[in-house]
Amino acid sequence: MPAAQGRFSRQVRVPQIGESGQAKLAHAKVLIVGVGALGTHTAEALGRAGVGQLLLVDRDIVELSNLQRQHLFEEGDATNGTPKAVAAAARLARLNSGCEVQPHVADCSAAFLDETFPSDAAKPDLVLDGTDNFPTRYLLNDWCARHDVPWIYAGAVGTEGAAMVIPPRGPCLRCIWPDPPANADVANCETAGILSPAIAAVTAFQVAEALKLLTGNTEATAAGIFTCDVWRGSYQRQELATTPAPDCPVCSRQDFPALSAPPTAAVTLCGRDAVQVDPPRREPVDLATLATRLQGAVEELRRTPHLLRFVADGCRFSVFPGGRALVFGVRDPLRARALYDRWVGLG
Amino acid sequence: MRYLDHAATSHPKPAPVLAAINEWFEAFGISADRGDSHQAVEVNQRVTAARRGLGELIGVPGERVAFHSGATESLNLALRAVLRPGDTVLTTAFEHSSVVRPLRALTEERGIVTEILPPDPDFGLAPARVVTALERLRPRLFVFTHASNVTGALFDARAFCEAARANETLSLLDVSQTAGLFDIDVGADLVAGSAHKGLHAPPGLGFLTARPGLELAPQKQGGTGSAVALADHPTTWPSAFEAGTPNTPAILGLAAALAWLVAEDRDQLAARALARTQDLEDRLAAIPGVRLVGTPTGPRTPVTSFVHDDLDPAELGAMFAAADIHVRTGFHCAPWIHGHLGTAAAGTVRISPGPAVSADDIAAAAAVVAG
Repeated sequence: MPAAQGRFSRQVRVPQIGESGQAKLAHAKVLIVGVGALGTHTAEALGRAGVGQLLLVDRDIVELSNLQRQHLFEEGDATNGTPKAVAAAARLARLNSGCEVQPHVADCSAAFLDETFPSDAAKPDLVLDGTDNFPTRYLLNDWCARHDVPWIYAGAVGTEGAAMVIPPRGPCLRCIWPDPPANADVANCETAGILSPAIAAVTAFQVAEALKLLTGNTEATAAGIFTCDVWRGSYQRQELATTPAPDCPVCSRQDFPALSAPPTAAVTLCGRDAVQVDPPRREPVDLATLATRLQGAVEELRRTPHLLRFVADGCRFSVFPGGRALVFGVRDPLRARALYDRWVGLG
Repeated sequence: MRYLDHAATSHPKPAPVLAAINEWFEAFGISADRGDSHQAVEVNQRVTAARRGLGELIGVPGERVAFHSGATESLNLALRAVLRPGDTVLTTAFEHSSVVRPLRALTEERGIVTEILPPDPDFGLAPARVVTALERLRPRLFVFTHASNVTGALFDARAFCEAARANETLSLLDVSQTAGLFDIDVGADLVAGSAHKGLHAPPGLGFLTARPGLELAPQKQGGTGSAVALADHPTTWPSAFEAGTPNTPAILGLAAALAWLVAEDRDQLAARALARTQDLEDRLAAIPGVRLVGTPTGPRTPVTSFVHDDLDPAELGAMFAAADIHVRTGFHCAPWIHGHLGTAAAGTVRISPGPAVSADDIAAAAAVVAG
């Protein structure tokens, strides 16, 4: 039965898609990095739209506080602490059995990407940003540029969101923001909260752009950065430079800093319910700034000259001026990395 | 970096040790007991010197010294060679995982029965209690560490070995914490140890000695460089307990280290490290919130453990790291003793000075804890 008469008939009827576009979707492979609010919205939309292959990567588990905005998850997933990628894949299989979903409970590192996509033939057609941190976004930026894959940046916090298409030949994220912002300065969903319509708005942009890229309508992609504030009812797109920055290491020098950066180490302490998370050596962390950001969002916040302690997500954190942290109450290094990025976020 | 972890491995290695290792790579490259060239003869002479020097420290002839990858391998081989199905073995709560884990495996494999001597109230091991236990159990083997790698308690190994002998029990002494620092010629039937701690040789080298007359079945078979025409592994020492290519550069490093220990005066080196340890303990004891753990009241090694009322050992570890001081935190691969020390939840911070540690290093370490 032609798609025009079947489950995708309403989509095929849109002239920009058509039968040929639908066929392209069926052969498309999309990598979604981060299966939280952003990732579950885009995964559900693309899975329903008939994308042939979805690869979902997330190292974290489903928690009750996710259900307010994250699609695909149910209360039982939170009770069981099911890995997000696994829970999402199970639900997607029920939504569209024709979509091949591969869950990866993993840290999205350069090594992970290289192992998952060992050749050009295996690489995805598109990467969607569903992360909550800039170090991973810069990694996606550099990996996608290196492997000639488009990706779509997205982020949302509070009532605001932003998204943009990063074409493989630039301008890339580094052309626009040469360095990742200091995470201590970046508001996140834990401290600033998040409204689900902000997620819906930015993922609507992501999915629409994804459908254009996957169906070969590259010329129709929206240039510049989409920003919104759902509380103010403001939705706009700001034009940005259309050519790569001359001093961008990625676009101008074919240098991919994030691909050679040492990864953050996470080691379970011998015989303990505790993991030590040790980011690569960076500038000293201002514990006072971090404390200010965490105020009100965490419990038992306490600062000494040597460390900052707090309790969040049922775990006790001790953060040291070099960025190293101990996460007590957890044994799984992946979970500890996720908690670290969420609460300390030095990447 | 200020290095305060000599109970794990000594650092830096003496210059003559590094030179000897380097010389092997540059001038020899030949494994011990392999070949007849002039260089091979020279290498063999140095390896023989290492065996003889180590044998002198332990009180056995050089040919009763077998080299292994480390004390762990030596202990595994000795335990497997000695213990038969159903045997009883006496050991102590101070043992390292390199004894604890093989005993657990042999419990599964051979149904051995392990009796563990708990520490005295002062965290020592009084010989009288050892005697009583040996008389009561009359075990096949008494395996024990010469000193605790957590508290620094140094045990009366000579009395322990004598008591074992009186009860027709074989003694296996682990000198990993004491070789190169203290007298290890104490009459043990079997001695296992590590070359890279107090002996100041490189890692990747351990040793097992057996007193003459004590014959044990080889536990690993392979090339020995000798009796190669025979299909069966030789039963004469040291070949009986050596199989495969030896770590010749490390053995030459050990030969140089043994000479260095004589030249520098081993007792002086140990005394320096002990003085630093005492200085550290005095400073730590004066810091509010600090509790020294299991501090020996009698003979001891340069090792000290402590905890803090308000800071987890792992937190203190991160604070030391931030100050670029290398110490150890946690359980130190001694799983049994922490239940007795009251440190089963989080372990301790362990600091173990070596001879090159300065008063300034000690002051810096104490300053981290004082905050």
